[in-house]
Amino acid sequence: MTESFAPGVRVRDLTVVYRTPAGELPALAGVGLTLAPGTITGIVGESGSGKSTLALSLLNAVQPPGRIKAGSVDIDGLGDVVQLGGDELRRARGRQVGYVFQAAQNSLNPLKTVGKQLLDLGRSHDVADLPALVGEARALLGRMGLDGGRVLDSYQHELSGGMRQRVGIMLALVLNAHLVVLDEPTTALDMITQATILRIVKEVHRERGLTTLIVTHDIGVAAEVTDCLAVMYGGRVVEHGPTTAVLGSPRHPYTRGLIRAIPRLSGDIDEARALPGRPPTLGTIPAEGCVFRERCPLRMAVCDTVDPAPAAYGERTVACHAVGQPVAPAVRKEYV
Amino acid sequence: MNTVRRLTGHLARGIAMIWVVTTISFVIIRNIPGDPVMGQYEKLIEQGMAPDQAERATAALYGFLPTGSLWDQYVGYLNGLIHLDLGQSLSTPGAGVATIIGSAAKWTILPVLGGTLLSFLLGVTMGVYAAIKRSGKLGDVLSISGSLLHGVPQYVIGLLVTAIFTTLWPILPAGGPVDIEYVPGFNAGYLVSLVQHATLPVLTYALASYGGWILAMKSSVATVLGDDFILAAELRGLKRGVLFRYIARNAILPLFTILALSLGMLFGGAIFIETIFNYPGLGLLLVNSIGARDYALMGGTFLVITVAVVAANIAADLMYAVIDPRVRSGGAA
Repeated sequence: MTESFAPGVRVRDLTVVYRTPAGELPALAGVGLTLAPGTITGIVGESGSGKSTLALSLLNAVQPPGRIKAGSVDIDGLGDVVQLGGDELRRARGRQVGYVFQAAQNSLNPLKTVGKQLLDLGRSHDVADLPALVGEARALLGRMGLDGGRVLDSYQHELSGGMRQRVGIMLALVLNAHLVVLDEPTTALDMITQATILRIVKEVHRERGLTTLIVTHDIGVAAEVTDCLAVMYGGRVVEHGPTTAVLGSPRHPYTRGLIRAIPRLSGDIDEARALPGRPPTLGTIPAEGCVFRERCPLRMAVCDTVDPAPAAYGERTVACHAVGQPVAPAVRKEYV
Repeated sequence: MNTVRRLTGHLARGIAMIWVVTTISFVIIRNIPGDPVMGQYEKLIEQGMAPDQAERATAALYGFLPTGSLWDQYVGYLNGLIHLDLGQSLSTPGAGVATIIGSAAKWTILPVLGGTLLSFLLGVTMGVYAAIKRSGKLGDVLSISGSLLHGVPQYVIGLLVTAIFTTLWPILPAGGPVDIEYVPGFNAGYLVSLVQHATLPVLTYALASYGGWILAMKSSVATVLGDDFILAAELRGLKRGVLFRYIARNAILPLFTILALSLGMLFGGAIFIETIFNYPGLGLLLVNSIGARDYALMGGTFLVITVAVVAANIAADLMYAVIDPRVRSGGAA
């Protein structure tokens, strides 16, 4: 029916601005990110770091008053999504790119059964064989441990959070999309259900040969399932590389701070140290220089004026003036 | 099972409500200064009628006994109601109240239903556009027209419409239900005359409630547009038409309650409009019966209006259960 391959994604110089009374404020400032075909990439960052905006950009679905001002999102088999519009864009959504919402959000129409919404989806994408689509949906739900027939006959309010999330994954995959974006897929679920959903995401990813992007604020989730990890701060990807490398030996001072802030199960709670200061909001992002400098222990003179460009260090890219520079002994003692 | 229980509950509550209203209207009519029932009874005796004969005549007129304890009279009145006997009209001798109301009802029900449904459909559709285009010119125009019309009382709209279409631009008749030169029945002249006469009342009903629908639907749609499932549906690539139906169906839910209430209210609102257009419906009947101190007719009209409101409420609730599965299953949403 459709070509089955895991697409690669190349985001280049993506700038997204939000129109506010104070002018256009950047939510993403020249973001670059590559998703290798067949990998699971995680995006972590605090609220307001731009991770959800980046995820929506993959479907060219930044919500007003936001808009994509510059850059490109190149997806294999689709081309530059930023240039798509109208019916072409609508068809790409759902069929080529699946989007899974946060479980706590009600991503289903409360007045229709899951099955009817599945048929709406099929008709919108001109699926000729609707019974086959229903069969595929039932098989997918069954694969995720649900009674497909029962779930298709259910309304949203009859399903639990974990069941809704699996329905969301089914709807994202049932048209055979091979690029899947999951926005906070486990937030607001209990620990057991979280683990189940993550296992399902991993297994389905492997079985169907997907390219997957997971947006989360939970580094534990990212460590569990992702191959690559992008750390976002103030509308920029500050560090990106293989998950084990990024978490095992973080190079950007923000990533280090994030990891040091995680309390350990064993050991003294006081060892966890919160990052000083607060993340910037849309209105407080500095116009020039490094966005992280106010909270940074490695701040240098150049950080006030020049926004550090991402630079490659082996498999990893880091956007920081101090990385690769000799660190002053006084700072080293305090920080490393 | 659930539906049957729900329906039974509604009917029981509706009947209880009707009983309360009839009781209140009985008590009021029995306690009006000058006591019209006793007045009639005494008038008949003065005219030389024997007391027991006068009593029977009065009972036939009002549907309850002029003498005896209040309780006996009340039981007699309720007994009459159960047999759908509303008594005799005072102002139209020889005509039963039920007959008079029956012939007036058709002049109210059709225009009220037509006007309300017309304004509901128009207002709801325009409300969706007003919400979707709320940052544009069209949205502003629709919202302002809604606010303006919503603020103008029915009778003012009625008078304006009359002035415009019968005097400034005389294309429609000013009043009455139909031109008398036509023979009632299925002939073109009669039907055309019927429609011509109904146009202005229906238009007034529609204009008077249209503004409210626009405003209510606009705010309801704006709420639904912010719901996550709309964005989710958009990101699944659903067609515009499907998306529109998702929005409209979810947004219209709260309006059904208002629709039911306003249908009931319009039977009261019909008083102004039917008076303005001299339209022989229930509203005009009520006004005339008050003017003529025809208490039996008054009581009967009150009863019919009450039943209409109660029935509209029950219908709305049942309809709600049909379109909202969360109500149907009785579970928490």
